[in-house]
Amino acid sequence: MIYFALAKGRLAEDSAALLEKCGVDTSVLQKKTRKLILKSEDGKYGFFLVKPSDVPTYVEAGVADLGIAGKDTLLEQGKDLYEMLDLKLGECKLCLAGFPKRHDLLTNPHLRVATKYVNTAKKVFSERGEEVEIIHLNGSIELAPVTGLSDVIFDIVQTGSTLKANGLEVLEDVYTGITARLVVNKVSLKTKAAEILPLIGKLKEVVS
Amino acid sequence: MVFRKLPTGVQDILPEECRILTAVRDKLSKKFRLCGFEPVLSGALEYYDTYSDIVNKIPQERMFKLTDTDGKLLVLRPDVTLAISRIAATKLANPHTRLCYFADKWDMQEAGGMTSREIYQAGVECLGEEGAFSDAQAIAFSIECMRETGIDGLIVDIGHVGYFKGILEECGLTDAQSEEVRELINAKDGYNAERILRKAGAKEKTLNTVLAMPTLFGGAEVLARAEALTENPRALSAIAYLKKVYSLLVEMGYEDCICFDLGTVKRLSYYSGIVFSGLVKELGAPLLSGGRYDNLADDFGKHIPAVGFAIGLKRVLVALERQGKLPEKQMLDAVVYCEEGGEGVAYAHFSKLTGEGKSVRLCASYGVEEEVAAERYLATKEGVKRI
Repeated sequence: MIYFALAKGRLAEDSAALLEKCGVDTSVLQKKTRKLILKSEDGKYGFFLVKPSDVPTYVEAGVADLGIAGKDTLLEQGKDLYEMLDLKLGECKLCLAGFPKRHDLLTNPHLRVATKYVNTAKKVFSERGEEVEIIHLNGSIELAPVTGLSDVIFDIVQTGSTLKANGLEVLEDVYTGITARLVVNKVSLKTKAAEILPLIGKLKEVVS
Repeated sequence: MVFRKLPTGVQDILPEECRILTAVRDKLSKKFRLCGFEPVLSGALEYYDTYSDIVNKIPQERMFKLTDTDGKLLVLRPDVTLAISRIAATKLANPHTRLCYFADKWDMQEAGGMTSREIYQAGVECLGEEGAFSDAQAIAFSIECMRETGIDGLIVDIGHVGYFKGILEECGLTDAQSEEVRELINAKDGYNAERILRKAGAKEKTLNTVLAMPTLFGGAEVLARAEALTENPRALSAIAYLKKVYSLLVEMGYEDCICFDLGTVKRLSYYSGIVFSGLVKELGAPLLSGGRYDNLADDFGKHIPAVGFAIGLKRVLVALERQGKLPEKQMLDAVVYCEEGGEGVAYAHFSKLTGEGKSVRLCASYGVEEEVAAERYLATKEGVKRI
């Protein structure tokens, strides 16, 4: 049996639709249930529904053979796995955003950056040789500059409407082309090649 | 309370597990000896500078550091192969030798899942050897070692760093860019590798080859596919070499457990030629990994070509358990009880039995207890009787 780790929510629905097109029986994912492990009726596939940021963890450990996760999560976590395919789902970008005009504060020589993506932000600023203060938040990142918690935010931007509604704008596109990716456990790809490779082949066709 | 706990990433191995670990180690130890490997053990503490000032340096954030009484910085053995390479280059009169070890290494990485920070390894190093037959032997021996422990269905995934290096040297990348591309290819992320290569102005043909690398894995047919993709002499000689190793492995009877992956380019590695890792489908991480590291000893002042591999013993135990192949608990051959006054008789009988090679427990308290053993004896002043 091949196990998938799928991100709960919209990405899971889109992923299921994509897998269905490749001949994977995903009818079990359409049913309303609170179960976290679901098995396809033909007994060929198992699905774990996990928090999006947990997908790489399940796949790296080999508990799940394959997973579908956002490139933002993969960048942030830097797990040791194979990133096999760009599924071109849910395209967005990782941006620095803030007020159009920066208010320099004498008591805050460092730029304060609020973000969910702490590791990625550290990497970006250390590559630039810039010293910044990173403030870790788990949601509603846009609130940080509005309330004065931070100067800017480093976050995912899809339409930009939340930014706009709060008087913020994109200052810089840092990573573009952030989409959902098919990730595969490094050992599973070799030991379960007969099942996994044809599936990757079909996904590739469907995506392009 | 907190001081009764262990720090993150290290484990106590309790008797039940330790019994199995010891059994596996004994099997490997016997195998190593039978195949002509001499055991060696390096000091657990070394100078920090030994591993930070060399070409193949270990990143400082990965080493556990201590301060010596003279203020010098020490590290806990960060890598066994490096330590053995140092020993061979600086202390062995004849560094043409086959060595084996059972040793811990410490890695200050984030622990969790399949990784820990204290890693108990078994391994071998074939020093002063070159050529395809040496590599084929190392690969074959890694398969035999796993069979010896009881592991089923091992696949050895083989690559060669020369293929990647050869193709990449044509792209005109800076060192930092090369490293970035290597990381992306290793993760099979062709999409981002393409972005960097295009930015660096790589030629279309080279670009196509690099982008095909993540797909260059599978059976022996991969070698022909890889060969057709390039004209780079270094890459082609890597393929020719792999073909030679493959034909030797086929001749030696290991055709069924070999596959290839030319897109495997390990992180910060000292490997200079063939690289391989041992996989089973029950475990999401390799059981063993190794390769050829011809230039490693150069760091310590002598050129000693070599090939070797290391087995993660914890992973072997996990895989054995998942395969339902853990060695069974051995019942004691005998137990000797005694009554007051019969201590001398009991001890003499206990010595006799152990002398015959039996496993025996001599009870310290008087009287008979419930215990499972094949033979049970009771010693009194008058003598020993079987019960």
